[in-house]
Amino acid sequence: MAARKQSTAKGEVPVKILIAAMGGEGGGVLTSWIVEAARSQDLPVQATSIPGVAQRTGATTYYIEIVPTPYSKLKDKTPVLDLYPAPGDIDLMIATELLETGRVIEKGFVNPDRTTLIASTHRVYSLAEKMDMGDGRYEGEKVLEAAKHIAKRSILFDMDRAAQDAGSIINSVILGAMAGTGILPITPEVFEQGIKDAGKAVKSNLAGFAAGRAYAEGKVVEARPKTKRAAAKSKAPKLEGAAKALRERIERDYKKALQPIVMEAAGRCLDFQDEKYAALYLDRLDTVRETKGADGGIVQETARHLGLRMAYEDVIRVAQFKTRASRFERVRGEVGATPDQLVRVTEFLKPGPEEFAQVLPRFIGGPVSRWADRNPDKARKLHFGMHVRTDTIGGFLRLRMMAGARRFRRMGYRYGEEQTAIERWLDLIRRAAARDKKLAREVIECARLIKGYGDTHKRGTTNFARITEQLIEPAIEGGPVTAADIAKARAAALADPEGNALDTAFAEIAGVPAGEGAQAAE
Amino acid sequence: MERSFAKEVQSLKLGEGETFEGEGILAVTKAALQAGVSYVGGYQGSPVSHLVDVLSEAKEIMDEYGVHLEICANEAGAAAMLGASINYPIRGLVTWKSVVGTNVASDALSNLGSVGVVGGAVAVIGEDYGEGASIIQERSHAFAMKSSIWLMDPRPNLTTMVDTVEKAFELSEASNAPVMVMLRILACHVQGRFTARDNKMPKISRRNKLQTPDHNLMRIALPPNTYAQEKNKFEQRMPAAKRFIVEQGLNETFDGDMEDVGIITQGGLYNTVLRALDRVGLADLYGTSRVPIHVLNVTYPLVDEQLAEFCAGKKHVLVVEEGNPEYIEEHINSALRKADIQAVVHGKNVLPMAGQYTAEVVQTGVAKWVELVAPEGADTDRAGAVPEEMFTINGKAVAHLGNPVPPRPPTFCTGCPERPVFSAIKLMERELGPTHISCDIGCHTFSALAPFNLGNTVLGYGLGLASSTGIAPSFGKRVISVMGDGGFWHNGMTTGVASSIFNKDDSVLIVMKNGYTSATGWQFLPSSPNKGNFEDSKMSIERALRTLGVKWQRKVRTYNVSKMVKTLKEAMTTAQDGLKVIIAESECMLAKQRRVKAERAERLKAGKRDVRPRFGIDDDVCTGDHSCIRLSGCPSLTIKPSTDMLRTDPKAHVNQGCVGCGLCGEVSHAAILCPSFYKAEIVSNPSKLELWLSGIRQKVITAWLTPEAVRLNGVHEGEAAEPADAQKAA
Repeated sequence: MAARKQSTAKGEVPVKILIAAMGGEGGGVLTSWIVEAARSQDLPVQATSIPGVAQRTGATTYYIEIVPTPYSKLKDKTPVLDLYPAPGDIDLMIATELLETGRVIEKGFVNPDRTTLIASTHRVYSLAEKMDMGDGRYEGEKVLEAAKHIAKRSILFDMDRAAQDAGSIINSVILGAMAGTGILPITPEVFEQGIKDAGKAVKSNLAGFAAGRAYAEGKVVEARPKTKRAAAKSKAPKLEGAAKALRERIERDYKKALQPIVMEAAGRCLDFQDEKYAALYLDRLDTVRETKGADGGIVQETARHLGLRMAYEDVIRVAQFKTRASRFERVRGEVGATPDQLVRVTEFLKPGPEEFAQVLPRFIGGPVSRWADRNPDKARKLHFGMHVRTDTIGGFLRLRMMAGARRFRRMGYRYGEEQTAIERWLDLIRRAAARDKKLAREVIECARLIKGYGDTHKRGTTNFARITEQLIEPAIEGGPVTAADIAKARAAALADPEGNALDTAFAEIAGVPAGEGAQAAE
Repeated sequence: MERSFAKEVQSLKLGEGETFEGEGILAVTKAALQAGVSYVGGYQGSPVSHLVDVLSEAKEIMDEYGVHLEICANEAGAAAMLGASINYPIRGLVTWKSVVGTNVASDALSNLGSVGVVGGAVAVIGEDYGEGASIIQERSHAFAMKSSIWLMDPRPNLTTMVDTVEKAFELSEASNAPVMVMLRILACHVQGRFTARDNKMPKISRRNKLQTPDHNLMRIALPPNTYAQEKNKFEQRMPAAKRFIVEQGLNETFDGDMEDVGIITQGGLYNTVLRALDRVGLADLYGTSRVPIHVLNVTYPLVDEQLAEFCAGKKHVLVVEEGNPEYIEEHINSALRKADIQAVVHGKNVLPMAGQYTAEVVQTGVAKWVELVAPEGADTDRAGAVPEEMFTINGKAVAHLGNPVPPRPPTFCTGCPERPVFSAIKLMERELGPTHISCDIGCHTFSALAPFNLGNTVLGYGLGLASSTGIAPSFGKRVISVMGDGGFWHNGMTTGVASSIFNKDDSVLIVMKNGYTSATGWQFLPSSPNKGNFEDSKMSIERALRTLGVKWQRKVRTYNVSKMVKTLKEAMTTAQDGLKVIIAESECMLAKQRRVKAERAERLKAGKRDVRPRFGIDDDVCTGDHSCIRLSGCPSLTIKPSTDMLRTDPKAHVNQGCVGCGLCGEVSHAAILCPSFYKAEIVSNPSKLELWLSGIRQKVITAWLTPEAVRLNGVHEGEAAEPADAQKAA
């Protein structure tokens, strides 16, 4: 494509700026800064916005045209400026978030021949991405690649972080980046003066402006997030006793590449219960490692999911998590409390018959649990809500006692149930591995379905059982079911909580009788 | 109000020759003052909400001129205000969102259009059509045609917009008919400038009152006068209007050297058409076009002689007319036929039948037309390259991106008080099964979208309950309807509640009481908080309902999900017949936060104690199933990459935007979700007693803490090697 001459006469062209922001980011303020700056230079300027129904949370765009010739030199000529941005006809494109960057590229606003793209690399996840039962995140890498390839020039950095670092709002960082491109017929000094004249948060806005400008002028390049691997390697763990023995056993029995994950998982079992339990973990993993046909991938994924399954989330485990020093520190950090502030922490717990059955001895827990399964409505009524203040002595000790019940866990009903289920799953893995590596990977991966608490956990377990009965067992027995079928069913089970996709998937998989809908719609 | 125009309204005082710089909607207000308007009114709605806001904030200036401002109950009320100009030579301007507002206003407009006016009567309508619009997509044009109201559609620059509003009053008076000035979304929000004129003191106003009433049967829509009025529209008023349009040069013709072709465009699209010609090399930035352009700043009525004059001798004419049906294009065809002019009329053959005429659409259409009719001297290759260029860029983009970018649909704001109501309905439906839900217009319509997907119909503002009356008796369960406090006062109280009681209908109504018309920017309602006190309002929905005869009425704080579920279940199952109303009450969080933040800042500045609630999630307890998100959808309840080497699915996470509304805790309780959530209350400037108590608590807790986890590979949490690396090892 040849660069286009814009106008028939004089070749006068306005600078066209499109800002794709999200509601509540203050795109309107940014636009007014630019408009004010242009006006202060006597430059013809027009700006408009499409807030529409998306004014609260959706995508919002602002469009600005600035004529580089001041009114004083135009005499009686009046520029006619457009209100709509046109694809391929944008000089400066701003996107304040990575997905929105993808959107403007998709809409064709970024022209390889003329558009300078300033985009933030941080993510604000859309609802569809957040709602996914597993991992529904859009591939941000692709947007970054597209941005680098399609724009004439692209200035990509994490504006959110840059703003935080500068102690400013994201707007001033963007304004600085815009000024730094040299595309606007307005010098950075004019913008700085504008910020000073506005008189609001002058210092932080100037800091943000300078930060953005530095990125655009190429003085700062986005630092890749530091990988902690180097640091991790250099830190020699000082382990004693049980932990030391476990580590040595793993170092002896497992390949180097597998060690981090096996150590993580074994350590988790040690934390969950005790040394014996961690050893049981390794014993179990050993059986898979020693299975003929089990490659590194199979062992690694088994190691991962076995660790998660063995360190399941019962009330004791939750209480353990919530009564640690590191947890209180993390809460303070997360809510941004300063040392002179106090933080009161309230937990929302609502245990019911199922939760009590978990820790009760098998002969009581079993019947209680089965009753609750049969009478979900009655069981639901028996749940009682607790607001526990873990920053008070009474509240903390209640949870601490629950965490201390760890020593009786093995007597509990759930412990037995979990161990049986784990043994059965491991058996499937070993049998599948002997037959087909791909099949084994799918059997392992199905453990992803089992997570959450209450109804969510029940639903996951039910789906897992359904896939096991109807797909995995027949596949291992040499039936017509393939590993791909299992993968399909697994994806479907994670597609919607109502189980509709899973029903459809089952219907589509040949040779499987149409099953009943998954239990407990969300 | 969402936005303050306190500073901007000062520009309404500008005098002759001074330069006004600002937003389109503010310029319209200035134009009204320059025209010597006596009364103004309106009902808020994008894109003219700001006009109502500006008028409210300009009280001081309005008072100076004796201008009366009425914040109307609905658009019908606003249109009916123009009744003042039927009998008396006073100028009035009203405003609303169109087409929906014009629908509501149409009863008054028909009557007004029938009897005509003696004083200038102008309605500024915000045409909410196209990208960013929040309503059903229709043209307002048909209303002008059917009621003989003149329709102006000015070029979207402030000078023309202001001149048009002023001329609208004159046109109205010269032809004794009301006038609508239509402004599109972007024109309402456009930032530009114009040279001001002095404001005019109205002759009749609150400062200079009328003394004698005018009684004239020709000004009342009663038979047999209505028959005479109907004739009058076409025998007197329309010819007068056309004369005025021609004499005053309201429509503009821009000459060009390619005389055998021409473009006729709606004024509002002129800038876009010119840019389209610029892109194919036939125009420049300053309005010089090689193709002659006839700009219809008045789109109804059209002046046949003007159209014939422009088209005479031309081979091809392009009509740029947004929306459908193509009334203008059809009219031009008929006018040219009658005048025996042979120019071929193009329009919807190169431009889309329906939808917004964006730059992309008009540029593609104009380029296609230039290619098709190939005017002598035009570079048709260049014209052909325009859509191609857009296509090529688009193709590259798609190739790089692969999957389409997921949409970001609108949803309830962070901490919105309406969200918990729908969480509660979800939970109620788990036990009682789903039922039919009639939605209404307002923020709560978002319930029909993810994550709730609750709602089966939306019929119009305030019509939630009314739209359930047909289906309710034939539905196996009690049906639910939803109505906002905005919709309630707009017409829902009569159309919905009164009618339902009168008919002894059996259904459940949820009234969302958040205190304002929040979706349009928190304008005040009859039941808005009195002096900032949400518990108190001068007019009350509860009292109104009682008076209307509602026997079963409950008020529930929306954030109390458990109680809401219980109340909903009771409403659905009680033996009590008739209408059951649940008032779901909590103040609009945006409005509340603005107040609360200011109060907090003051407390902190003064070194006083302050408690700020926030929610959080324990990473290690969260298993990443996101069921909490599916029951909330709050923007501040999001996800973050997992740092857990074993569990790779992203974890739920509460970000800094959290306002501590409490829903997360309530939902995890009511739905028995998971124990990951915690509420943290951050106490600033704690009292001495608190500090002492906290110290003791710390000591005890520290002594009994659960030991930290030992990590065999010596890596601490949050520092685990990226899972991807582990994957590679496999």
